[in-house]
Amino acid sequence: MNLQLGVLEEMILIILLMKDETYGVDIAKEYESQLNQSISLPAIHVVLKRLEKKDLVTSKMGEPTAERGGRRKRIYQATNKGYQAARYLQQKRSEMWKGIPAMNFSFL
Amino acid sequence: MEGDSSHELFILVNSNKHHPPLWADKLLNYFCRQDFADEILGDLHEAFYWRLKEKGPGKAKTKFAWEVIKSLRPKNLKSFYHFSLNTMILRNYIKIAFRTLLKRKSTSFINIFGLSVGVSAFVLIFLYAYQIISFDDHHEKKDRIFLAYKERITPDGVQPAFDTWAPMKDRFLSDYTQVKAAARIYETDSRIVKNNQYLEEDIMYTDESLFDIFTYPLLYGNEKNIFADKQSVVISVEVAIKYFQKENAIGEVMEIFLPDEDTTLLYQVSAILDRLPANISYRPNMMVQLESIPEYPEIANNWGSSFLETFVLLDQKESAAELEAAFPDLVETLWGAEVRENTNFKLLPYDQSYDQFIGRKADAYTLLLIGFGILLIAAINFMNLSTAQASQRMKEIGLRKVLGAFRGQLRTQFVTEAFVTSLLAILIGIGLVFFITPYFNDFYDVSISFAIFSPLQVVSFCAGLAIALGILSGSYPAIYLSSLRSIDALQQKIGLGGSVNFRNILVVLQFSIALFLITSAILIRNQISFMTQKDMGFNSQSTLAIRASASDFADRDQGVVRLNTYKEQLRNKSYLNEVALSRAIPTRWTRSFTFVRPDGWNGDPLRMRYTYVDAHFFNTYDINLKFGDHFLADSEGGDQRESVILNEAAMKAFEFDPSKQNIIKIGDRRINVVGIVEDFNFESLQIEVAPTLIFHRTAANPVHTYISAQISMSDLPIRLEEMEDMWNELGSTNDFTYYFMSDQVQRLYEAEKRYLGMVTMFSVLAIIVACLGLYGLTLFIIEKRRKEISIRKVLGAEIRGILQLIFRDFTKWVLVSFVISVPFVIFFMTDWLEGYHYRVSISWITFAITLAMVFALVIVTVGYQSLRAASANPVNHLKDE
Repeated sequence: MNLQLGVLEEMILIILLMKDETYGVDIAKEYESQLNQSISLPAIHVVLKRLEKKDLVTSKMGEPTAERGGRRKRIYQATNKGYQAARYLQQKRSEMWKGIPAMNFSFL
Repeated sequence: MEGDSSHELFILVNSNKHHPPLWADKLLNYFCRQDFADEILGDLHEAFYWRLKEKGPGKAKTKFAWEVIKSLRPKNLKSFYHFSLNTMILRNYIKIAFRTLLKRKSTSFINIFGLSVGVSAFVLIFLYAYQIISFDDHHEKKDRIFLAYKERITPDGVQPAFDTWAPMKDRFLSDYTQVKAAARIYETDSRIVKNNQYLEEDIMYTDESLFDIFTYPLLYGNEKNIFADKQSVVISVEVAIKYFQKENAIGEVMEIFLPDEDTTLLYQVSAILDRLPANISYRPNMMVQLESIPEYPEIANNWGSSFLETFVLLDQKESAAELEAAFPDLVETLWGAEVRENTNFKLLPYDQSYDQFIGRKADAYTLLLIGFGILLIAAINFMNLSTAQASQRMKEIGLRKVLGAFRGQLRTQFVTEAFVTSLLAILIGIGLVFFITPYFNDFYDVSISFAIFSPLQVVSFCAGLAIALGILSGSYPAIYLSSLRSIDALQQKIGLGGSVNFRNILVVLQFSIALFLITSAILIRNQISFMTQKDMGFNSQSTLAIRASASDFADRDQGVVRLNTYKEQLRNKSYLNEVALSRAIPTRWTRSFTFVRPDGWNGDPLRMRYTYVDAHFFNTYDINLKFGDHFLADSEGGDQRESVILNEAAMKAFEFDPSKQNIIKIGDRRINVVGIVEDFNFESLQIEVAPTLIFHRTAANPVHTYISAQISMSDLPIRLEEMEDMWNELGSTNDFTYYFMSDQVQRLYEAEKRYLGMVTMFSVLAIIVACLGLYGLTLFIIEKRRKEISIRKVLGAEIRGILQLIFRDFTKWVLVSFVISVPFVIFFMTDWLEGYHYRVSISWITFAITLAMVFALVIVTVGYQSLRAASANPVNHLKDE
């Protein structure tokens, strides 16, 4: 598997895998609570569009709600391919991590 | 009131809770693709309320607006085609505009070419004039900066002098609370000692408070403590790079030779000045504190010698008047009641210093007016041609009206066409400017560029210009064309479109402007050639001057000896005649003054220039003696300190009668007037010859700074090389520097020549654009009158008669324009010429030449087409009905 994923792309993909079904604002909230770092919605939208183009997520339109001013939300879901990609990256990373020699903190 | 109440209503409805900013909402709704809008806006709204709870309304709103803007990515936007109906009509207008442009290629060319030439001329002028108009705007406190100077009140009038005394600064600060800061500036040249070489560099002696008054940003250094101590020097970044090959040269040591002090001192760099814009008056290379020079204690409290400039920063602009009212008391305290009567202190607002010392801002405004004139001529072309074109677009207009087009829509269409044309013209014009600028800079020796403006400013300037031009050139055709009755339009009842009178007025206006410019250019030319060709009163043709100052030698006494040897060597050369030494030379005349009065004069002494020459000087420069004798030859004893030669101007100033008087007094010293020379112009002819006292010093005296001689012009390069080789053996710190007096005289008028060059170039452009318009108009007129011409010919008219018919109108226009332009020329040019003491008069020949020239141009422009129309076979134009 040869997939180039940016850090933000990977993070959002993982959030999607955690949540089963979710949408932009939800992702932003999750991101902020997990990483303690704020993120702008346009950034998430761009990443979601990119992931969708790579077939890692799919989307459908949801029902309109009042707090959205009667607008519908687009609901995203990770695909199987998305799951594979995230897992592949995670595995590769663990393998590589093992190659890092244990740090020697004796000089402290 | 209506707006207020609706605003209140809005607040009422929304007062119970916060809303996302409405404008941002609308913005996104308008531009965002419909299929994305739900998702993006929905998410943004939901996030807004979530943040409202967590972070408060302020943060939530800012974040919302920011996210809306960030969401406006190209991918999220509607395509151009999806905009509403309005834009579709607009697209149709633009399409029609392009079609019309392509359909009438000659008219379009005249319009667009004329407009773009007009635009590029205007922009070039604007860039140049802006540099001058915004001169010294760099200094943020400019409005409150004043230059303190003194005025001598003499029987001849008031003479300003800008040199002031070292203690003036502290006196002002302690006496007047309105003075917030004061600083002194004394600029001179110094030599940097580097690798046993002496490199000349300007140096400024000043005070640290200078930085409180003027805006000189530091690139490196401590702003609180710019001069760390008395051995600190502040240098410009250019000097830093030149001597240390790096920008941050703080801590480096410079060995500086100060010729005025005759010492070499070590200074440490303590701050680096940032780069400065080109259009400011003081551009310091190196600055040291005035207090750091060894002689400072002697001048610190000396109210006797004035040699530096004192700038003050006031608490407010208006305080200047209060201070000027208080100055006479200070003068009296300093020098007593007698001096109070003839001396006063004044404050010169800093924005007047350009006019006082550098040039004339009025010239820049005049150029700007010329630019507007050219632009107006080009815009008039467009107006005239579009209304004239109307006759050919009648059917289109009529049909549009029949099919239900409103007047407003037709108007929009024509304005759109005007916008398309002007936008195209501006793009081409700006492109031309980019292309021309390097040549323009080279040719006129100026440095204009777009770089002084940010890209945003340039774009908005162009947009503004496009709108202004579009409205100016499109409004009249739009109003006129849309007002035609559809039935008349369809039946083509209307003759040549547009009110003929109005169009004639516009053509007359164009030609008045063009005639005005051309006449003025010719007059400026006359004045300049008068100044450069007038007999200056001395021989400049083959006179050479070499800079030769004893202070250019490390050892001054030895310098005098060596220069004398050099002079003797030159005297033995067969190609040099009449070698003379002097303190000053014409065009680089003395700026030293003394107070003098003739014996028996009871009035106040006159402030007068003085200089030193040796006995050969007047022969070298061919200056004629009017009365008395020359100085005795140098060989007859030493300096003739008790003798003086006056120029005629001095004689007149003294009301001196050389047949009866021969003594003048400087203080108590009595000096013999041995002779009076005819006036010679040692400065630009803009200024009247100033009274000057000329004293004698032998060639061996170190006051002299120039060697002048008559040189034979054959084999000049070899001769100069020989003199340079001889010079290089002397061991001066200065390179061999020579001036040909004829060049020097020309150089006096560089500013005027540049001004003339620009006025000429732009007047030529103006007349070209005007003729272009006339050409276009002729085409239409002939087209319209073709049948008339043919019928006249059938009935037996001669070609000459028909030509007369066509030319009569044009002749009338040119004559009317000429009559209008004459008073303007006389008014403006009298004003301009009054700036010159020696000036030409405005002669009728100039007007005659201009009129003849313009007539010739009009005949050429109109002639070919007219002749073709007049000589055409009438059958060709009559058979189609």
